[in-house]
Amino acid sequence: MAEGIEVQLKKGVLGLCVLALLARGNSYAYEIASRLSAAVDMGEGTIYPLMRRMQGEGLVSTYLEESPSGPPRKYYAITDEGRNRFAEQASEWREFVEAVEAIIKTDAELGAQAEGTDDTQ
Amino acid sequence: MTRNEFIRRLKGGLKGMPAAEQAEIVADYEAHFDAGAAEGRSDTEIAEALGNPGRLARELRLEAGIKQWREDRSPSAAWTAVVGILGLATIDILILLPIILPIIGVIFALYVACVAVFFAGGVVMVAGPFADMDIAVNGFAVFLAGLGIMGLATAAGAILTIVTIGFVNVMIWFGRLHYRVIQPAITSNDE
Repeated sequence: MAEGIEVQLKKGVLGLCVLALLARGNSYAYEIASRLSAAVDMGEGTIYPLMRRMQGEGLVSTYLEESPSGPPRKYYAITDEGRNRFAEQASEWREFVEAVEAIIKTDAELGAQAEGTDDTQ
Repeated sequence: MTRNEFIRRLKGGLKGMPAAEQAEIVADYEAHFDAGAAEGRSDTEIAEALGNPGRLARELRLEAGIKQWREDRSPSAAWTAVVGILGLATIDILILLPIILPIIGVIFALYVACVAVFFAGGVVMVAGPFADMDIAVNGFAVFLAGLGIMGLATAAGAILTIVTIGFVNVMIWFGRLHYRVIQPAITSNDE
């Protein structure tokens, strides 16, 4: 249960992270997966169900591009709808972080005050 | 797990999906192994990082079911989506089954009732005016009454369809919440 909240948070924002990466430039699934798995520690395989869902929802589109080595690669590009969704989710995320941050800060300050006045705390 | 073992277990989990879609998914994972190998990672290492192929297959099946349901609001698409959700079968889905199954049963029974009332209305409409009745009733009124009964059955059927669509959507919402939040596939060894 200790890892619960961390895992849930990561899983919840995976879609947002993918949209953020694609907003900076087109990419292929392996690259997206390795960048995200390094940053948020997710199973790389999770990227494929996620990409298929986002494609189904019209947030990303795919095309094939020749790769320097081996067969052509499937690239993902963000659509206009995907950009709108990204803007929405990013602002939701920032609001959420700010709200949580405010509460955490308050608690820390209260803790510091309590320590100053009462050692049993 | 080796590359072959991963692909074999993935394919096993995808059975029953349209062949073209299966091939596309397998190609995605094969390409992942190729790209990883090009970076000098071993097959075992890549398979480990990918996660549990059985669980990934279940998520992919569910996504495919949901997509089909969005495109085509047919009973078979609804069934595929619901089976996909149940395919994630973990403990809280099992707890929900006693609630879900009666709902499915009631919806089915109501459909049967609607169809029966519709046909009964048809019989009244066609045969009613010619029936030998003691009370003097206008044959045309009986015809209209029959038509009215059929109309009511159709309306009830339409409302029932809306309720069913809502029910399947709630199931989908729950299913996604379930695999995305409650039991995520981030960890590879969750089975």
